[in-house]
Amino acid sequence: MAPIFASVDVRAGYSDIVIVDGVSLEVEAGEIVAIVGPNGSGKSTLLKSFFGFAQFLSGKMFYKGEDITGRPADKMISSGIGYIPQTNNVFANLTITENLQMGAYTRSDRSQIATEIEGIFEIFHELKHRAKSFAGTLSGGERQMLAIARAMMGKPSVLMLDEPLASLSPKSVEGILDKLTLVRQSGTALVMIEQNVKRALSFANRAYILVEGKCIMQGPAGELLNDEQAKKRYLGLGT
Amino acid sequence: MANTPWAQILLFSIQTGSVYLLSAVALTLTYGLSKFPNFAHAEFMTLGAYTGFFIANLLHLPLPLTVLVCILCAFLVSGSLGLMSYKIIFGPLLRRGSSLIHLMIGSMALGFIIRYVIIEIWPGGTQSFTLPWPEASNIGPFRIYIPWILPIAAALVAGVSMQLLLTRTNIGRAIRATASNPQLAMASGINTGRVLLTTWFLSAGLAGMAGLFIGMKASFSPTMGWNILLSVFAVTVLGGIGSFYGAIAAAFIIGLAENVGVVILAQFGLASDYRTAISFVILIVVLLIKPEGLTRLFKGN
Ligand SMILES: Nc1ncnc2c1ncn2[C@@H]1O[C@H](COP(=O)(O)OP(=O)(O)OP(=O)(O)O)[C@@H](O)[C@H]1O
Ligand SMILES: [Mg+2]
Repeated sequence: MAPIFASVDVRAGYSDIVIVDGVSLEVEAGEIVAIVGPNGSGKSTLLKSFFGFAQFLSGKMFYKGEDITGRPADKMISSGIGYIPQTNNVFANLTITENLQMGAYTRSDRSQIATEIEGIFEIFHELKHRAKSFAGTLSGGERQMLAIARAMMGKPSVLMLDEPLASLSPKSVEGILDKLTLVRQSGTALVMIEQNVKRALSFANRAYILVEGKCIMQGPAGELLNDEQAKKRYLGLGT
Repeated sequence: MANTPWAQILLFSIQTGSVYLLSAVALTLTYGLSKFPNFAHAEFMTLGAYTGFFIANLLHLPLPLTVLVCILCAFLVSGSLGLMSYKIIFGPLLRRGSSLIHLMIGSMALGFIIRYVIIEIWPGGTQSFTLPWPEASNIGPFRIYIPWILPIAAALVAGVSMQLLLTRTNIGRAIRATASNPQLAMASGINTGRVLLTTWFLSAGLAGMAGLFIGMKASFSPTMGWNILLSVFAVTVLGGIGSFYGAIAAAFIIGLAENVGVVILAQFGLASDYRTAISFVILIVVLLIKPEGLTRLFKGN
């Protein structure tokens, strides 16, 4: 079966400075793919470039077999590719309900949305009693939940998350991982960047290791976790 | 003017405040999304007055209908000019990453161009509407004249409509979302380019309406908008940029200060031309001691 999303030999960066140098990525329907690598290796830049938030210099992108290279961000989202940035990932000046409504902005089945927000509150029950609060007043963990909930309102087939677990308490991490498991069970494939290699590799099905803008290793998460060489050289998990 | 009764000064203050509010809400709309103060806003106001003037002379309809058509045309003509100026000038400048200074100077230049085009089309300086308004009449302590009341009613309607638009409709929420976080707006599938065009249209349209009301109550000239722009800036700064309730309070404070100030100036034998100097003083004082304006007083905005 063709992958649901694929990037082929992507080069990307900022004002013609190449940061990501030839990365090819494949995501099968419903799987969890982790992108790991040291700080500054270009993980965020890669995801941003898919949506035009970083410069997409060359390469191709495919979604459900269709060439979508150069498609503008809003069209990418409405085709079913969700994105959650690493920082500033909620609308601070909008209420929680309004944030969720914005997540459904591109959908045509407007009448469904109110019921679905109720449904989202069933899953993200931590947010329910704050529905009318401004998102700017939420804690770090709650913000991350809202960011995921907002993205889910767009019913993506693939959701790309830039470090959803960064700087959260262990308890919040648990909470977010639970939600992500539910998201995945609903049939959405996940592409997530994660600093904590052990955590990433134990949660994901497959992983890509990015170093200095290049993909130096990829494969099933379990294999990478047991690969001595990967552990020592790239993942900082000395034995 | 020196012995204007205080009730009347209050009425004039509310009227001045209403026009400023209309214009300030409009100015903040583009400021919130494009992040630079648009000086051509002044000429969007002036154009509204001249558009209404042109239409009023053209039509021979019953008065209420004429007024309605004037308002509509002022909104549409100024709005379209705002939309085009974003599409042709400010949009490309913003995409190129132009600095605040470049954008501001660009907007001043555009303002000058519009002003001189207006002078070309309507030469002869000061103009005034010749609409057959009913005679002014006394109601209680107030002297009521329709052109004085019209802006108050319009500001009320426009203010409430804007607030409903921004909080209850999908496009309104998209406008606020884009102002709050443009990149996330795109990542929510919002076509931010179209949102920007919409806000420029709305903003310039409301400015045109404000200009029309100023023109209707007295005479007006090609520098009309420019002359009150400082007061409008004072309202946005005092109100705390982007705060709706702050803007309402600020508009009436500035309106009151100017109208009371004019009376006081007259006591000292000074001309009422100094009235903008009053908002100028308030603007400077606010910037010096409370640059965040009144926002802190209005929570939950
Ligand atoms: N807006 C930008 N303009 C220019 N250079 C940038 C920009 N954003 C990031 N960079 C540079 O690109 C390189 C890769 O950054 P990127 O954010 O993609 O790394 P990352 O792998 O996501 O790191 P982290 O794990 O710290 O989030 C860094 O050297 C960074 O300095
Ligand atoms: Mg990053």
